[in-house]
Amino acid sequence: MKRLKALLAAGLRQNFGLSLLKHKVLQGKKDLWLVLLAGIGFLSLLPVLVLYVRGLGLLFGILRAAGQETAMLTLAILVGQFFILVFGLFYVLSAFYFSRDLEFLVSLPARPFEVIGAKFGVILVNEYLTVLFVVVPVFVVYGVMAGKPLGYWPLAALVFLLLPVIPLALAGLLVMAMMRCVNVSRKKDFLILVGSLALLAAALFLQLGLAGTRSPEELVKFFSAADGLARLLGEKFPPCIWASRLLASGFSAPGLGYLALFAGGSVAVLLLLLLAAEKLFYRGLIGLSEMAVRRKKLSAAALASSFASGRTAWRAILRREWKLMNRTPIFLLNGILSVVLVPVMLFIMVRTSAGSSSMAILKILGSGNRLAEILFAAAFFVACGCLNGTASSTFSREGKTFWISKVIPVAPGRQVTGKFLHSYLIAGLGVLGGLLAVRLALGLGWKSILPAALLAFVAGVLLTATNMAVDLARPLLTWTNPMRAIKQNLNVVIAMAVDAGILYGFYHVSRLLRRVGFAGTGLIAVLFVILSLLAAASIFLLARFADKRYTTIET
Amino acid sequence: MIELRNVCKSYNKGLLRAVDDLTLAVPPGEIFGFLGPNGAGKTTTIKMIVGILAPDSGSIAIEGRDNRSEPLACKAVTAFVPDEPEIYERLTGLEYLNFIGDVYGVPAGLRAERAGRWLDKFELSAVAGDPIQTYSHGMRQKIVLSGALLVEPKVFVLDEPLTGLDPRSAHHLKEAMRGHCDRGGTLFFSTHVMEVAEKFCDRIAIIHKGRLIACGSLDELRRQAGESQSLENIFLELTEP
Ligand SMILES: Nc1ncnc2c1ncn2[C@@H]1O[C@H](COP(=O)(O)OP(=O)(O)OP(=O)(O)O)[C@@H](O)[C@H]1O
Ligand SMILES: [Mg+2]
Repeated sequence: MKRLKALLAAGLRQNFGLSLLKHKVLQGKKDLWLVLLAGIGFLSLLPVLVLYVRGLGLLFGILRAAGQETAMLTLAILVGQFFILVFGLFYVLSAFYFSRDLEFLVSLPARPFEVIGAKFGVILVNEYLTVLFVVVPVFVVYGVMAGKPLGYWPLAALVFLLLPVIPLALAGLLVMAMMRCVNVSRKKDFLILVGSLALLAAALFLQLGLAGTRSPEELVKFFSAADGLARLLGEKFPPCIWASRLLASGFSAPGLGYLALFAGGSVAVLLLLLLAAEKLFYRGLIGLSEMAVRRKKLSAAALASSFASGRTAWRAILRREWKLMNRTPIFLLNGILSVVLVPVMLFIMVRTSAGSSSMAILKILGSGNRLAEILFAAAFFVACGCLNGTASSTFSREGKTFWISKVIPVAPGRQVTGKFLHSYLIAGLGVLGGLLAVRLALGLGWKSILPAALLAFVAGVLLTATNMAVDLARPLLTWTNPMRAIKQNLNVVIAMAVDAGILYGFYHVSRLLRRVGFAGTGLIAVLFVILSLLAAASIFLLARFADKRYTTIET
Repeated sequence: MIELRNVCKSYNKGLLRAVDDLTLAVPPGEIFGFLGPNGAGKTTTIKMIVGILAPDSGSIAIEGRDNRSEPLACKAVTAFVPDEPEIYERLTGLEYLNFIGDVYGVPAGLRAERAGRWLDKFELSAVAGDPIQTYSHGMRQKIVLSGALLVEPKVFVLDEPLTGLDPRSAHHLKEAMRGHCDRGGTLFFSTHVMEVAEKFCDRIAIIHKGRLIACGSLDELRRQAGESQSLENIFLELTEP
């Protein structure tokens, strides 16, 4: 236990204390403009939060009228746990198996369960940040509007704290089982990729596919019970129901029963994880870095042919970026795969019964307003392409190899061209994926899709360049766990906030354009021109910024 | 030719002076060894020469060009090998060499010939197609060296290049560096091995606590120290804490 505590403390310090401090303090004044931008980005999220809370209030009213208000809690907990399960798969895989401190940890006189326990603790703290924004507003709105007694609040805090334990421990169990199986083969990288995709698909299916189709009579039956809707939502994942009933009943006999169930369940799954760690962890880990090698002497001819082509520097850099990204599982999952995944998820979601009805509503709302349709589609395409960590971790990903970029005789501005093309390629794939999803799942017409795609491709340039600038301003080059470079990189979050701010800004620009009399094609054309100018400027400024900034990044 | 003029560099916002008013000229055609105790400032100096760090004050010229006002011209004629071979693990050795060849603009024909030669000498031919991730520490070091040798630049800057190399590879490297200097090239390298410095170097500089405390041929250093001592004794005497 003492060792577990020491390991946990060290892990937390490394993950939060030091690195955050470095991010905040060391970069000093140069960061000011960035803080400002990020501030604007976050401020632009504030209206979203207000909207969210207002929406929750409305939802509460509707649900209460039907006597189903606990469903709100179930839904929030379900969504929170779903996110944790899905992201947890990545976190766990990376922290348990790909972190570079593992060799060191394994050599310590600590038992596997202690190593896993400490790593689990660190991820857990990370997850609280993930669910904070989804779950806490719901708990607050529910607590206030239902006029819950004081006893509700400590229970809500407890539920919040326990919330990630079960899904995260489940993710840990799944990943450990998978790695144990994968580690017998020589083609590990590939199998790990396939395995994690399969787990992800399973998690998605569990959540999205479960709605299934039900007869109207069944549905009526669900609604006639006091918390029928809650039960319907959470039926595949009982802990959600326990937690929401616990909150709904408070300090009463049934409430305490659910508390015992929920807390006991969390502890049990956690213990199971630690137990499994003893059995599975080392056998999945040891020899993981061993890879299939050829060890065959190259003939002079083969050697000559592999050197046949001479590329220009930016093409060499583009190729390097492409290969490094795609050959590091964690980067691949966050880059191309996440770009492919978003449309797939949308597609699955729309195909579920609940999804298709809400889509029908969306369609009714959108039909007849071609302009809104185009703008929404464009925003969606941009989100598909740019809301991933590719561009905003492009410098951080170089990590300790950044010295190479500093000594090669290629101007930083040109290096950045190669890097930009790589990020933009992935953004472009995202836009195409979004396009396909919208076409296939929603059946949106080409007359809306094509102008939307045009806007998205130009906006993609602006956002990609902006995201890269964020990372260039404060690259994180000292990581040992590749996850730190991309998924847990503050730059990725800042860049997303800035992106949201830019999109929000364009929302206002289009409103302004409407007010001064633009409409239809004219408005789209003006937007296109503005975006093009900004895109060109952003690329130019990014290259200039790189030329300045590269000399001051010391490694 | 490398020239450092009054170069200073401190870390931690000036609290730690790593390099203090260093003036040094590394002429072409001579093997130039850079000695000093741990933490003396060797790596810091080397990183400033190749442009990884920027000096707080002073200037550095490579082949007569200032490395801050004309960085690309300086980088084009310099190859650097760091003490830690941190390179793209997910590339294969060949892909790495190709990348280096591309960014330094080495013609494809020359590339195959030189790479073939060095992969052979360093006994890397069998693993060149494998990811660098699967290499041992020494193999990684040798692939970085191969990349530098592929460029055949005018100036080599090597940080402890012999540490971790097996005797045969070290021998090949020394031979290549001898040839490079005989053809009029410049070589600047740091080392902790006194015999190497004694037998291999034409000129030696010793740095201590960021300051240059001795510079010259072995004979000059002996004269400066007063007696016909070994380099080891001179070093120990000069760097006494
Ligand atoms: N990134 C850094 N941040 C702060 N201080 C540093 C950093 N790098 C080096 N130093 C300090 O600068 C001084 C010189 O370090 P340097 O690495 O140049 O020494 P060195 O001569 O190469 O030593 P060694 O023989 O051990 O390689 C040392 O006191 C070291 O602690
Ligand atoms: Mg050193």
